[in-house]
Amino acid sequence: MSASDVSPTAPGSDVLDSPMQGVWPPTPAMLASPVDPDLSRAQAKRLRKAWETPRGWRHVTAVNNTHVGKWYAMTALAFMLGAGVLALLMRIQLAVPENGFLDSDRFNQFFTMHGSAMMFLFAVPMFEAISILLLPALLGTRDMPFPRLSAYGYWCFLIGGIFVLGSVLFDAAPSSGWFMYPPLATESEGIGADIWLLGLSFIEVASIAAAVELIVGVIKCRPPGMRINLMPLYAWYVLVVGGMILFAFPPLIAGDFLFELQRSLDWPFFDPDRGGDPLLWQHLFWIFGHPEVYIIFLPSIAIAAMVVPTAARVPIAGYSWIVLSAVGTGFLSFGLWVHHMFTTGLPALSLGFFSAASEAVVIPTGVQIFAFLATLMVGRARMILPMLWIAGAVAIFTAGGLTGVMVALAPFDWQVHDTYFIVAHLHYTLFGGMVFPVIGGVYYFFPVIKKKKLSERLGRWSFWLCFTGFNICFLPMHLTGLLGMPRRVYTYQADLGWNALNLVSTVGAFVLALGILVFVWDLVRPKRHEPHTPRNPWGAGTLEWTHDVPDEPWGVRSVPYITSRYPLWDQPELLARMDAGRFYLPDAPEGLRETMITSAVDAVPLHVARLSGPGWSPLVAALFTGGAFILPTFKIYTPAVICGLLAIAAILFWLWTATARIPEKPFKDGGLGLRLPTYVSGPKAPGWWAVFITMLGDATGFASLVFGMFFYWTARPDFPPPDSPHADPVLSGIAALLFGAAWAATRLARGLNAAGLIGAARGSLLAGPLLALAGCGALIAAILHLAPQTHVYPAMVWALVIWTVSHVLCGAIMQGYCLARSLAGRMTAQYDADLWNTTLFWHFLLATCLIGTAMVALIPRAM
Amino acid sequence: MAQRHRSLWHMIIAPVIWALHFLAVYCFSAIVCAKAAPFGWAQGGVLAMTAVALALIFWQAVLAWRQWDFLDDGDHVHERPTATSRREFLGHAGLLLAIVSFIAVTFVTLPVLFVGDCR
Amino acid sequence: MPNPVPQRYHGLSGMAWLSTLFLAGCKGQQSVLAPAGRDAEVLAGLFWVLLAGAVVLWLAVNGLMLYIAHLNPRPQSRRMAEGLIIGGGIVLPTLLLTALLIYSLREMPRQREAGSGLTVRITGESWWWRVEYLREGTPIASANEVRLPTGSRSELVLEASEYIHSFWIPAFGGKTDMIPGRTTRMSLEPTKSGEYRGQCTEFCGESHARMALIGVAMEPQDFAEWLTAQAGPADDPLTPQAMRGRDIFLREGCGGCHTIRGTPAQGAVGPDLTHFGGRRSLAAATLPMERQALIDWLRDPAAIKPGVRMPAYDHVPEADLADLATYLEGLE
Repeated sequence: MSASDVSPTAPGSDVLDSPMQGVWPPTPAMLASPVDPDLSRAQAKRLRKAWETPRGWRHVTAVNNTHVGKWYAMTALAFMLGAGVLALLMRIQLAVPENGFLDSDRFNQFFTMHGSAMMFLFAVPMFEAISILLLPALLGTRDMPFPRLSAYGYWCFLIGGIFVLGSVLFDAAPSSGWFMYPPLATESEGIGADIWLLGLSFIEVASIAAAVELIVGVIKCRPPGMRINLMPLYAWYVLVVGGMILFAFPPLIAGDFLFELQRSLDWPFFDPDRGGDPLLWQHLFWIFGHPEVYIIFLPSIAIAAMVVPTAARVPIAGYSWIVLSAVGTGFLSFGLWVHHMFTTGLPALSLGFFSAASEAVVIPTGVQIFAFLATLMVGRARMILPMLWIAGAVAIFTAGGLTGVMVALAPFDWQVHDTYFIVAHLHYTLFGGMVFPVIGGVYYFFPVIKKKKLSERLGRWSFWLCFTGFNICFLPMHLTGLLGMPRRVYTYQADLGWNALNLVSTVGAFVLALGILVFVWDLVRPKRHEPHTPRNPWGAGTLEWTHDVPDEPWGVRSVPYITSRYPLWDQPELLARMDAGRFYLPDAPEGLRETMITSAVDAVPLHVARLSGPGWSPLVAALFTGGAFILPTFKIYTPAVICGLLAIAAILFWLWTATARIPEKPFKDGGLGLRLPTYVSGPKAPGWWAVFITMLGDATGFASLVFGMFFYWTARPDFPPPDSPHADPVLSGIAALLFGAAWAATRLARGLNAAGLIGAARGSLLAGPLLALAGCGALIAAILHLAPQTHVYPAMVWALVIWTVSHVLCGAIMQGYCLARSLAGRMTAQYDADLWNTTLFWHFLLATCLIGTAMVALIPRAM
Repeated sequence: MAQRHRSLWHMIIAPVIWALHFLAVYCFSAIVCAKAAPFGWAQGGVLAMTAVALALIFWQAVLAWRQWDFLDDGDHVHERPTATSRREFLGHAGLLLAIVSFIAVTFVTLPVLFVGDCR
Repeated sequence: MPNPVPQRYHGLSGMAWLSTLFLAGCKGQQSVLAPAGRDAEVLAGLFWVLLAGAVVLWLAVNGLMLYIAHLNPRPQSRRMAEGLIIGGGIVLPTLLLTALLIYSLREMPRQREAGSGLTVRITGESWWWRVEYLREGTPIASANEVRLPTGSRSELVLEASEYIHSFWIPAFGGKTDMIPGRTTRMSLEPTKSGEYRGQCTEFCGESHARMALIGVAMEPQDFAEWLTAQAGPADDPLTPQAMRGRDIFLREGCGGCHTIRGTPAQGAVGPDLTHFGGRRSLAAATLPMERQALIDWLRDPAAIKPGVRMPAYDHVPEADLADLATYLEGLE
């Protein structure tokens, strides 16, 4: 059969875009026909072999999402406990006035690290961990689309996290607050600030990697038939949050880049004496920092969106409303950042815009809460243990939300900003919006992960301890703040009326800590002798409850055909057919790890993706990446550069050996009478989407630097200084032309290669890097006479050039990689995914180069 | 129209308009204030941008309403595994996003009506 | 670890502070809820309204949750449920938030209105406040204490030397940051005369917790008299002790950093001490203006304010420190 024989199910279906051959959708008769048990057993054996987890010391090379996700979650939990201990130590110091338990410097290190670790080492990684762990199960797929990328992200996180959090033990931790405001942070002595900047930038890179993978996972790895209107709500949230990470983290990375340039090379971005401005950092930090709050909140509320229908035993009410809420919150959260800067003396008009947007975001958030209430109303609610945690979360979160409405009113914020009122507010939103739903989620999903149940009794103890402890700790803080206690003070005088309130808060903090400990004990206590859980202990309707008990490494025995939002409730034969291998990809005849790639909106099968298996390369690449980020902290530059080069080599080796492998045959049997391609390139391939999504994030980072240039122009009357030299226009123009030519060479090479003119394509790929390098030379020559230490204007020009040149070098490496692949016979006219991805990279790169050159050579002359 | 029926991008046009409007309003008024131009410029400019944004969002809402096609079958759940259900779902979500974007754009415009200068 | 502030300054130890635990709560000298200025009064009123609304809404949402979860009422229809989402999620918040937003937007320019008389320039230093009352010619310098007349709006011009700080006297009104390289402005209109404590609220390093100040609201007539007195040079020491104190002050090089107008001490690094003795507090409202506190401060300031820029004078004999304190206390 050819594609034209396939009859579309309905008008508007994108089935015709699919290169598959065979029957789609499967007929009821096909689904009902039994599988020969012997065949099924043989298939299961081959599948088990393909997905086998490495044992012994090779276990660290595992890349399967169930392993990496578990490591990720446990590491994030460990960091959370560390940051929590810091909080308890601070609460001891603040229990009584004029306490001498911690000195000022130590206290400052602790609160800086408490905030940084909770945000960067716990809240965001925990989202990534849970999503990596659960998303494939929720989508009935075998694994994430890029398993080695998850592993690389995890190892980066582990190394960076230990480095950053470990600094507390050596009295070398950053002490300027988790927001690192210059000039305090730029001028702080010691390596604390560098640890923060480099260590956390490193982790941010890992976060972006995870975001890319999760987005691609949601849009390309859904099971056949799971149209976008049938997707579990958790997947919607992952999609939104992944998108938010792409636009929120890069501004901070750009900020870190400027900040570290100031600290190590004395380029005056934030130094007002040389034209800089400390406020630029505040903008870049909070453009990241506010969406960050929602990046933490949304995935946790997504867990609630999975638990609530199960507790109510009905489908969620207002599915479209919740999608509206997730997407709307995602957008609006980018219009709130200045509400962290209400007191910086910006014009009242500007504050008004952000105050308005901060109030507007209440609407989608409220819709969310009411959708849960509506669902409970429609069904018959059972207070199962996870639901208890969710109910507690709603109680706490609504309180935090209501104080949020208050502080979003700028004049009111002028009073309570940077007081304990805000400490209370933010902990109410984060505990209600993150900690409680996540713990509820752990109680809910634990059977999927460990095939055992957590203790009902310990869970209830933990809940009530946490809930009362939390409120005893944080409710009084509202009043402490209204009575004038500022944040971040290591002590206070006895006669200000804060004594009793602080003592009560300290007691509450310990009760809360006890509750958390009970939960952790429940989590880690040995459960070897306990019986396995039933497969679907809560009677839920979604796909993660088709998991195998006892555990199997393959994710799903066969990839199901889905026709409902709650398949376990509505598709009665589903489980038996999945187990029998009735559905797609029930076998691994080639011994390869495979999963199904489907179309973005209607989940029509597109191709069979061969996933990378266990390997050392992610771990080695992460180690060297870590060296490249961590060594400069100690001013060790040469080994850092060597580490950087080795990291690039390790990544190239990984790409070379494990990606875009030419398949042994162009099509294979996917099950249920479907023949699917085993290799695709361009927009049909997950890898192309990964490049596209990564480059969106990268473009945001670049846009942040461009924003910086305009920011100085509006904020400083002398930018650029009237007598300052500019970049050489002729050389800059030549650079732009050379970059354009390098882009054209890449695009041309793709066309030539596809047309079978391999030799010409190789020639074009050889010319590309040479043109690119020549362009870099011309651009650097154009600005060599500018001295970046003298004023922020030349420093900004240099920063833009460094950004552009480093990206062009990356583009040149990719061109060279394609050339090498072609020469090695790993890239042909038909199998050209590498060249597609490189061309896509160069499309973005061309925009960067042209805007960058214009920002360097043209725009400042017009300012 | 056919493209719209199976496009996630069309669903988020309204909030994208909100984002562009927000960015334009903020940057424009910041520049007017920083460069000490008459405050009336800020007011006039913002109101003009708001009029355009609201008109575009309204237009999107109309398209989304048609795509949702609520009146023909009264479906507001969209849980069937069909192209119709998916089309109506994307329309429904797009309409809701347009409503929230409309409210948000209106909110963001209020400051120019009640804050009279750059202080 | 040593207690940074000698026990006697908070004057309380062991059981003593327990007794003040609950009493002190009512004093509210740094409280948002005990306003003594026009802006603070408006915002305190706003807070009570917001609090009442928040309590009602919180009880409504969570009461509904509890009702559904525990009493297990008859399941409602989907249409009813969507009605709840539309009513509770869209209609109600849109109406309430529009009202709140308009109210706060109108209030914002009022709280930033230009002052009608006095202009005070306050510079955030590490970790104290340089205060200058602006007038024709040289400003009148002071430190760590801001006096404002009641009944009129005074303008504050805020700057910072090294790090970012935030100026806040809650009884008068909201806070505004002080940012190096920028000049920010705010205005305040005290309504009740009295003394109120303020504190730096933007984290500014080691002694952030020790950077407070006293705001004094005075009747316009009293204020005018006080300001005239402040403009004058320092009183000459009258007692032999105080005269010795002045000599020690000059001998120890205190004048390198501090100014005492009418003496050779003309330093501009530290606070102006011309009318030091007339201030209500010591070391940016960290210590009471008391003799023993002053001597301890002079001996080892860093024990009280970590990271302080003033060097220790523990090499100066105790008797000399006492004379120095006498001199400084006399500078009213």
